[in-house]
Amino acid sequence: MALGTASVRLVETLRSSTFKLALIAIGLFGAIVLTLFSYVYWSTTSYVTGRLDSAIAAEQLALHKTYDREGRGGLMTALQQRATDERFQDNLYLLADPSYSFLAGNLKAWPPDLVGSEGLQNFRVPSKPGASDQSMLRAALNTFPNGDHLLVGKDADDLDAFKGSIETAFIWGIALIFVLASVATVLVTRRTVGRIEAINVTSRAIMQSGLDKRIPLRGTNDEWDHVAENLNSMLDRIETLMQEVKQVTDNVAHDLRTPLARIRGRLEKAYHRKRDGEADQELIADTIANLDGVLRIFSSLTRIAQIEAKAQQVAFRTVNIAEITRETVELYDAAAEEKGTHLSFVGDQHVCVTGDRDLIFDAVANLIDNAIKHGRLAGHVTVEVAENSEGAAVISVTDDGPGIPATEHQNVFKRFYRLERSRRTVGNGLGLSLVAAVVRLHGARIEMLDNLPGLRFRLLFPASVVSNSQTGKRETIAS
Amino acid sequence: MAAGHRHILVVEDDHETAGQLVESLTMNGYQVNVAANGSDAMNLGLSSTFAVITIDRMLPDIDGIEVMRSLRERGIVTPVLIISALGEIDDRVRGLRAGGDDYLTKPFSFVELLARVEALARRSDTVIKETVLRVGDLELDLVSRTASRHGRDISLLPREFQLLEYLVRNEGRVVSRAMLLQHVWDLHFDPTTNIIDVYVGRVRRKVDDRQYYPLIHTVRGVGYCVRAPS
Repeated sequence: MALGTASVRLVETLRSSTFKLALIAIGLFGAIVLTLFSYVYWSTTSYVTGRLDSAIAAEQLALHKTYDREGRGGLMTALQQRATDERFQDNLYLLADPSYSFLAGNLKAWPPDLVGSEGLQNFRVPSKPGASDQSMLRAALNTFPNGDHLLVGKDADDLDAFKGSIETAFIWGIALIFVLASVATVLVTRRTVGRIEAINVTSRAIMQSGLDKRIPLRGTNDEWDHVAENLNSMLDRIETLMQEVKQVTDNVAHDLRTPLARIRGRLEKAYHRKRDGEADQELIADTIANLDGVLRIFSSLTRIAQIEAKAQQVAFRTVNIAEITRETVELYDAAAEEKGTHLSFVGDQHVCVTGDRDLIFDAVANLIDNAIKHGRLAGHVTVEVAENSEGAAVISVTDDGPGIPATEHQNVFKRFYRLERSRRTVGNGLGLSLVAAVVRLHGARIEMLDNLPGLRFRLLFPASVVSNSQTGKRETIAS
Repeated sequence: MAAGHRHILVVEDDHETAGQLVESLTMNGYQVNVAANGSDAMNLGLSSTFAVITIDRMLPDIDGIEVMRSLRERGIVTPVLIISALGEIDDRVRGLRAGGDDYLTKPFSFVELLARVEALARRSDTVIKETVLRVGDLELDLVSRTASRHGRDISLLPREFQLLEYLVRNEGRVVSRAMLLQHVWDLHFDPTTNIIDVYVGRVRRKVDDRQYYPLIHTVRGVGYCVRAPS
C-alpha cells in the first residue's frame, strides 16, 4: 500500500508540468556548463601546447645550426654535452641514422610508432626503463639531407596531467550538477504538486459537498498563499452570491406567490359563482391590476439583473447629472406636494459624469421616492448636486424622517429587503437594489449617513474626464 | 385617410398572441396581416404597403431585428414597433438603433399596444403645424406656452405644459405612462412607481377642477386620454 502510494506520487511528480520545466532548465544549464568547460579546456591546453611547441622549435633550430656548421659529428658532440647539462634535463634528444639506429642522445631508441613520421608528435615511453607507467612526451621529428633522423622532444607529462585534471573536474562537475539539479527538481516539484494537490482536494470537496470548504493557508505569505487567499475570497463571493440568489428566489417566490394565490383564489370563487356582469367586470379589472403588480416586480428584477450583467458602460456618454437630478426633483414635485413634503434642489448647474441618463434618472428617482415615502409628513427632502474637493460628482438626497438604524444599513441594499415598519407602505423592496446596481455600473459609490434626524444618501461618481470648471452659479429651486 | 394607413402587418410566431393581436386591432378598425416567421414577414413586408409593422424579436427562423434591418435596407420606411419578451435597456437601444421606431416589452396590455400603433400610424400622416391647440374649451397657445379654459388662464410649469400638449396632440387616443415618460421626459423605461399618476394628477387638478366637464380621463391600467364630451 505504502509502496503503491509512493509510486503514485512518483508518477505524479514525473508527470507534473513543474518537473518537465525543471528538466528543460537542467538540460539548458547542462549545455551551457558543457560549452563553458569545453572552451576552458580548449583554450588552456592550446596555450600550454603552444608554449611547449615553441620551446621545442627553438631547441630544434639550435641543433640544426650545429649540424649545418659541424655535421653529424658536431651534432653528436653537442647532444652528449646536453645530456650532462642540468639546464637540458627535461629535454629528450635522439639522433638516429637512416635505418633509425641510435647514434647519440638521451633517448636510447627511436619509438617504433614514430618510424617514418615527421613534424610534431605526441608519444609515450616508459617513465623509467622497465617501469610499467609511461610518460607523455612531445617531440619534433625531422630528417637531414643525408638521411639521419633527429628527434627533439620535451616531457609533456605536465600537460597531460593538466588535461587529465580538467577532464576529471568536468566529469565530476557535470555529475554533481545533474545530481543536485535532479534532487532540487524532485523537491520543488513535490512541493508544487503538493500545494496544487491541496487546492485540488479542496476543489473536489467543494464540488462534492458544498461551498463551505476553504483552502488551508500555510502562513508563509508566498505566492501559493496568495493564490489560496484569492481562491478563498472568490469562494466567499460565490457563497454570498449563492445565498443572495437563494434569498432572492425565496423572496420572489413569496412576493409573486402571494398576489398570484390571491388572484387564483378570487378567480376560482368566481368560477363557481353565477355569472354577474358587474361583479365579473370588477373582478377582471382587479385581476389585471394585480397581475400588473406582479409584472412590475418581474420587470424590476430583470432590470436590476440586466444592469448588473451589463457590459460596462457601452452606451455611456457625458451627461450633466445636475440637470438630470433637477428634472427628477421636478418630476417628484407633485408627489412631494401630495404629502406636504418640502422637496428642494440645491446645487451647481453643470456637474458632468460619464454615464447613462435613464439609469441615473431612475436611481435618483428611487432615492427621492424613498425619501418622500419614508420621510416625515410635511418634512424636508433636500437634493443636492455638487463637486467635492477631490473632483468627484456627488448627488445627495437627505430627509428628516426616522432614518434607518445603523445595524440595518447594509441590509437595505438587498433585494426585497424592507424594514419592518415599512411593510405597509407601497413598494417592493427593490428600489435600493436598483440604485446599488446603477451605482456599481457607473463605478460610483453609495454612502448612507445619519442625518440626525433622518437619512442622507450620497452617490459619489468618479471625477469625469470632462472638466466641470464652468460650474455656474448655484441655483435653488424649492416647492 | 388612405386604406394603406389602416393596414397593419403583425409578425408573431405564437398563435394565441397573434390571434389576440389580430382581434384587438381588427376591433379598432385595422386590417391585419399576420406573418408567423421571418421569411413570410419579408415577403409580405416587401409586397404591400403597411401603416405599421409590429415585429416580435424571437422568431423561429430569423431574429426580428434582422427582418427589420433587411426591410430597411430594401427601402421600406414603414414605422416598426418591436415587441420583445427579452428585457429592456440594451435590447431596446439595439432595436431602436437598428431602425425600429418604438419598443414594447412582453407582456403588454392591448390598450398600450393600440396606443403605440396609433401613434406610429399617425406619423405617416402630415404633421399639422398649428400655433393653437383646442380641445373643448381648453386652449393651448404653443407660441406663448400658455393654457386657458373657458378663457381663464391656467398656470402650468413648463413640464406640465409639455405633458398637456402631448395629451392634447393625441386627443381621443390613449396615451400610456411609458409613452408619457418617453415623450415628455425623454426617459426610456417603464415606471415602476405611481409617480406619473401623481404628476398627471396635479396637472388634472389644474386643468379640470371647477370646470364644466373633465378633459383628462384615466384609462384604467394603462394611462390617460384627453377627450371633450361630444
